[in-house]
Amino acid sequence: MKKIFLFCSQGMSTSLLAKKMQDVAEKHKLPIEVKAFSHGEIEGIVEKLNPDCILLGPQVKYLYDETVKKLKDCNIPIAVIDSLDYGMMDAEKVLKKAIVLMKKNKK
Amino acid sequence: MFKLLEKLLMPAAEKLGKNKILIAIRDGFLISTPLLIVGSIFLLLANFPISGWEEFWTKILGEGWDMWFVNVSRATFGIIALLSCLGTGYAYAREIKGDKIQSAAVALVSFIILMPTCISFEGVKGSGTISALAFEYVGSNGIFLALIVSVVSVKIFNWAYEKGWTIKMPNGVPPAVADSFAALIPSSIVIGFFFLIRIGFEFTTFETAHKFIYTVLQMPLQGIGNTLGAQMVYSTFGSLFWFFGINGPAVTNTIFGPIMKVLTIENLEAFQAGLPLPNIFTGPFSDFFTCYGGGGSTLSLVIVMMLFCKSKRITQLGKLSIVPGIFGINEPIIFGLPIVLNPVLIVPFIVVPSVNLILSTFATNLGIIPYTTGVALPWTTPIGFSGYLATGSLVAGLWQIGLLILGCFIYYPFIKMLDKKYLKDEEEATNSESEIEDISFEDLSAEDF
Repeated sequence: MKKIFLFCSQGMSTSLLAKKMQDVAEKHKLPIEVKAFSHGEIEGIVEKLNPDCILLGPQVKYLYDETVKKLKDCNIPIAVIDSLDYGMMDAEKVLKKAIVLMKKNKK
Repeated sequence: MFKLLEKLLMPAAEKLGKNKILIAIRDGFLISTPLLIVGSIFLLLANFPISGWEEFWTKILGEGWDMWFVNVSRATFGIIALLSCLGTGYAYAREIKGDKIQSAAVALVSFIILMPTCISFEGVKGSGTISALAFEYVGSNGIFLALIVSVVSVKIFNWAYEKGWTIKMPNGVPPAVADSFAALIPSSIVIGFFFLIRIGFEFTTFETAHKFIYTVLQMPLQGIGNTLGAQMVYSTFGSLFWFFGINGPAVTNTIFGPIMKVLTIENLEAFQAGLPLPNIFTGPFSDFFTCYGGGGSTLSLVIVMMLFCKSKRITQLGKLSIVPGIFGINEPIIFGLPIVLNPVLIVPFIVVPSVNLILSTFATNLGIIPYTTGVALPWTTPIGFSGYLATGSLVAGLWQIGLLILGCFIYYPFIKMLDKKYLKDEEEATNSESEIEDISFEDLSAEDF
C-alpha cells in the first residue's frame, strides 16, 4: 500500500481533493491510500505514518522550502500541487503526477 | 504594480508563516478551539435565542438551572488563558523540538507563579483570605500574559536542556524516571526566573505582571483591534495574500488572532453575565459578516458563475465549488478560476469583503443587527445559520443573505468579462497532451508499488 499525503493549512480543502483521488485509485484498483492533514502536524505524521509521497496545496507553497529542509532525511518526494489542477480538483491528474514522483524517487 | 506587491507580500508571508513563536501562538489556540465550541453550545443551551426559553425551563427545573451550564462555560472559556498557556507551550516546544509535555507543564506553572493565589474577601461574617485562583486572571484578560510567559518559559527551559544542565542517571534507570530527573534543573531555572519576576513586580505600582501586561500591552492592542480601520487592514491583507495564492488568514491570524480572541471572549463573558456586549469586531463577526464562502466572499461569485455564465470552464467550476463554498471553503475557485494573479477579479475580490465589513459595522452600530455574543462556531457554519447563532437574532441571518445578493451584483460584470474570454478560448481550443496524459492506470504493474 502506497500512502500519498496531502497538506494544507488546516487540511480542509486538500481533504476534498484527497477524497477524489482516493475514489480514482479505488476505481482503478490501485493499492494507494490518499489522506489530507494540517501542515502544522507534518513532522509528527511523517514520523508516525511514513508516507510515500507528500503533496502540498498551492496555498501553502511558501512552506515548500521549509518542508523540504525539515524532511530531507526521510527520502520522501515532496511537491506542490499545480494550482490549476488543484482548482479544478482534477484528482486523476494529481494522482498521476504523484505516481510519476514516486517512480522517479525509486530509481 | 502586481510585481511590486508580490515582492513585498511573499517574503512577509514566508517570514510570518515560518516564525516559530507566531506559529506556536497560532497553533496553541487550536488546542482550545474545539473546547470553546463545546463550551459555547452549553452557553447557548442556557441562553437560547428564543423568547420565553429561560422562563420555560425555570418552571420545569426550578431556579438556578442555568448554573449547571455556567459551570461548563467557566471550565472552558473561563480558563482560556490557562488553555492558551498550555497550548502555546506545547506547540512552541514542538517547533523547537523540545520536550513537549514537560514544556507545557512548566509554562503553566510559570504563569500561575505570576498570579495572586491568595484572595482577600469581606463577607457578612467578617473578612479573611482564602487560597484561590481568581477567574479574572485565567480568563480573557490573562491571554497576553499567558502567551508571553509560555514562550519565555519554554525558551529558557529548552535552552538549559540543550546546554546539558541536566542530571544524568546511570544506565539501567528506566527512561521515564531518567526523563523526570533530566527536567529537574531546567525546571528549577525557569521557576526561579519567574519567582524573581513576581517579586520584582510587587515593588512596582502595577503590583503584578498581570496588571502590567494588561495595561501596557493588551488594552492598547485590543483598542486598536476593535476599530473599523484595523479590520479593513485585516480583511484587505487577507484578500491580497489569497490573490498571490497564499492562504491569507493563516498569515494574518498570526498577528490578529490573539487580539480577536480576546475581543471574542470578552463578549462571551459579558453575554454569560447578562451585561451589555462590549465589542463589535469579534472573531465570529469577521468570520460571518465580512466573507461568505471563504476569502473574497466568493459564494456570491459562485452563484453568479452557476446562474449567468456560459463557458464550460466557469460553469463546471461553479458546480464543483458550490457545496464547499457553502461551508466556507473556496480553494477550487481561487486556483481554478483562477483568482490568483488575475487582474480582473482582484477588484471585486477586495471590494466585496470591504463593502460587507463596512455595511455590517454600520448595521451593528445602528442596532439593525445585534452584537455577536462571542459564542464560538466553527468557521464552516453555513450562512444564515451562522448569523442567527452568532447573534441570537434572525435578522442577522437575513442580513447575511442580503449581503450575499449584493455581492452577486458586484461580481457580475467582472466574471462576465472573464466568461467571454473563456468562451472565445474554448471555441479556438486545441487539445494539447502532456506527458502526464500518457500514463494510463491500466498499464501500471504491481511492481510499481
